[in-house]
Amino acid sequence: MSTWQDLVTASLIGTERAVVPAVRIPGCPGLADAAGSAPADPAEELLGRAALLTAARRAGRVPDHAEPLPAAGPDPRPAVGQAAGRRLARMLGGEHLGLLDEWLTAAVARGLRPPAQLLPALLDLGRRTKPADAELRRLVVAAGGSRARWLADLNPDWAFVAETPRQASPRDEAWRLGDAGQRRGYLAALADEPLLEAALDDRADDVRRWAASWLATLPGSALGQRMAGRALRCLRIERGIRGTRLVVSPPAGSDAGMRRDGIAPGPAAGRSQLADRARLMLEVVARTPLRTWTDAFAMEPATIVTVRSGDWAPVLYTGWTRAAIAQRDQAWMTALIVEAVTGRPPGSPAENEALSQLARRADPALGALGSPDALAEPEPGSPPAIRDAIRVLRFRYDMSKELDVDDSSG
Amino acid sequence: MAERWDRTRVLTLAPDAPSQRTAQALASAGSWPLTGAREPDALWGECRGSAATPYRTAIDLSGPAYQCSCPSRKFPCKHALALLLLWADGAVKDTPADPPAWADTWFAGRAGLTKANEPQDLKIDPMAALRRAAQRDSRIGAGLAELDRWLCDQVRQGLAGSQQAGYRHWDDIAARMVDAQAPGLAERLRGLATVPHSGAGWDGRLLAEYALLRLLILAYGQQSELAPPLRDTVRSRIGFTVRQADVLASGEHVRDRWQVLARRDQEQDRLRSRRMWLRGRTSGRCALVLSFAVAGQSLDDSLTVGTEVDADLAFYPAAVPMRALVAVRHDQARASAPAGGTVAELLASWAKALGADPWLDTWPAVLAATPVTPVTPVTPVTPVTPVTPAGPARSGRPCLLDGCGDALPLHPGAGDCWPLFALSGGGPLTVAGEWSPRGLWPLTAWDQTGAVPL
Repeated sequence: MSTWQDLVTASLIGTERAVVPAVRIPGCPGLADAAGSAPADPAEELLGRAALLTAARRAGRVPDHAEPLPAAGPDPRPAVGQAAGRRLARMLGGEHLGLLDEWLTAAVARGLRPPAQLLPALLDLGRRTKPADAELRRLVVAAGGSRARWLADLNPDWAFVAETPRQASPRDEAWRLGDAGQRRGYLAALADEPLLEAALDDRADDVRRWAASWLATLPGSALGQRMAGRALRCLRIERGIRGTRLVVSPPAGSDAGMRRDGIAPGPAAGRSQLADRARLMLEVVARTPLRTWTDAFAMEPATIVTVRSGDWAPVLYTGWTRAAIAQRDQAWMTALIVEAVTGRPPGSPAENEALSQLARRADPALGALGSPDALAEPEPGSPPAIRDAIRVLRFRYDMSKELDVDDSSG
Repeated sequence: MAERWDRTRVLTLAPDAPSQRTAQALASAGSWPLTGAREPDALWGECRGSAATPYRTAIDLSGPAYQCSCPSRKFPCKHALALLLLWADGAVKDTPADPPAWADTWFAGRAGLTKANEPQDLKIDPMAALRRAAQRDSRIGAGLAELDRWLCDQVRQGLAGSQQAGYRHWDDIAARMVDAQAPGLAERLRGLATVPHSGAGWDGRLLAEYALLRLLILAYGQQSELAPPLRDTVRSRIGFTVRQADVLASGEHVRDRWQVLARRDQEQDRLRSRRMWLRGRTSGRCALVLSFAVAGQSLDDSLTVGTEVDADLAFYPAAVPMRALVAVRHDQARASAPAGGTVAELLASWAKALGADPWLDTWPAVLAATPVTPVTPVTPVTPVTPVTPAGPARSGRPCLLDGCGDALPLHPGAGDCWPLFALSGGGPLTVAGEWSPRGLWPLTAWDQTGAVPL
């Protein structure tokens, strides 16, 4: 070691100023002869000795010593299938990264674990996420299981794992994944409807809006019934000889009751009165229980969304979308997607955004259709919003199908 | 079937970004009422488009070569890319039946074409060949003399200034080696530009490389006295190439069940290279299959990590025969994890190989080992005092620890290797990689599901 270091030091200084140190290699007699045979240039001499020592040092390499690590706890969950693992790797590489929480939720729900080699990327993602996205962290920790906790003990960057609850409280689960009844139970346990109703008169703007938006998702709430009353005054169906159509007479302005139910008052600065009436119409439709329409028109959602409504179609489409997402109504979400793809294509930025939200929330099997593949292939010139929506639906559909297939060993 | 490409690799074939997007949109089973594949490299499908008749797409993965009935002038067209994406996702199944007639005709034509392109024995004028060889010898001789002076100048003036020298310092001398028709030396020299900035110990690494380069020059000067295999090694390291046809014709042929251990892709100056490491199940011999591609072309995908091929390999002549060509392929199968060895066995084989070829800098490694990382934090080294590390295991680098308690560091360039740790969970696994004087670069690990490329 020191012989080599001496050579290195001499080479750093340069043979113009430094003496070439002698080199002894045990069991290598040839060296002295070679050095003695001709009074060589010191630079050549140094390089020659360095070559010999390099070969000797490399070949004579001895093992290091290290201590074993504590082993990770067992993880009894089976791994996801290979296709699902490949898709997760692609998502972590950036493809539809926004759907990662859905993948993780589905894997956790099925009791499957992600491929171990992808855990570091998942943990990095959990680390980078802002504290606001505690939900993603929770999913990463839940999906990662004991192996992720073991990794986090080795790398301080992943210290968040120790601080993240492993499981959502059963109530959170009921709110996020539960059907309407479970959600209602959750809300009832949290704050019953009368209390929320009372909160509509709260002093704080925030509290009022929050209570209103919650009540709007609560089946059968008094707020929902009030909205339904308003909505039916604004939208009626006409069955004439020239076909069926929807006739809209939007609210003239917002009254105290509408304000109390969470609809912001007054035309915004610079907005025409017509635009503001369209906004009020949209807000009313968005908060109206969807049952209102199927009951009043005696039609299925899939039929209602195809009824002509002239210039009001984009407003109704966006309003129904918001209502369907808030009320988690799969029949309506499917109807709205199918209408956009096979009927009247989305025309406004708001409708594009609505369709994009639907593609991320709707059951990707699309109810009776069975799979997004049953939708017609979009024409080459069709709007990007439609192609994007179909792509997202297909991705989500394939994603959930793969997680149901066990091909981990084949 | 050929190794499934990953999506990234398919997308690199696209002529432009819009093609990538449209291909991804088309890559859905719903758009492809008919798809099929046949061993070893035929792929076909019918894509529903706006026209009344479907577009018919056929792909020969060995080229790869494409054929599509669509009018697109882009090449490959979106249909070919989409079909490849489907296949990459595992959505195209092997078909027992023959491909449809339209595809079969094209595949048959391809097969004929490939045969026609196989290298023929060219008539070479022996006198002209000799003249060219003599010309090259004199060019290389002059180039090596210049490199010898340059190397001696470096140590005469001292290596201390190397950290301030820019890339030009090495690129210039490398360019002169290209002129001297010694591309092997040029590549080695270009690689040195990063050494002065490679962290503690850079001076020793630079000196070692200079010393080995000069040893190569001396060896070339005395090549007539060297044993033929060593002479072949020296010549190939300087940059003399051996024609593939010659390797296939006269190289050593070894038939075995070759386990495909690991793959390493690198890119330098728009040239991509791929190293595939193989090990014979019966012979225990290791082999290295190289392929190269310029940007846009695809690298050889015929070998899949985690599988086993029954094949004849033809080895390039060398003191430590390692580089090889796949001469004849008989069969391919999914393989279980290879048997991992100990650190002591690896170091013994490395030492033996260095005895035959001191310029070796990568060596295949298959270990049964556990990745470990120092649990105690490393005490920071004050920059003022030069400190030789007290012991290698205290360097703070992750290592691989075998069952005998022997460890080797992982290569600093391989990063933190967290995926390897994640696979291990603190327990032993089989790891394949490249060993080099700076450490082991892990490339493949095996878990219950099979080979996992790292």
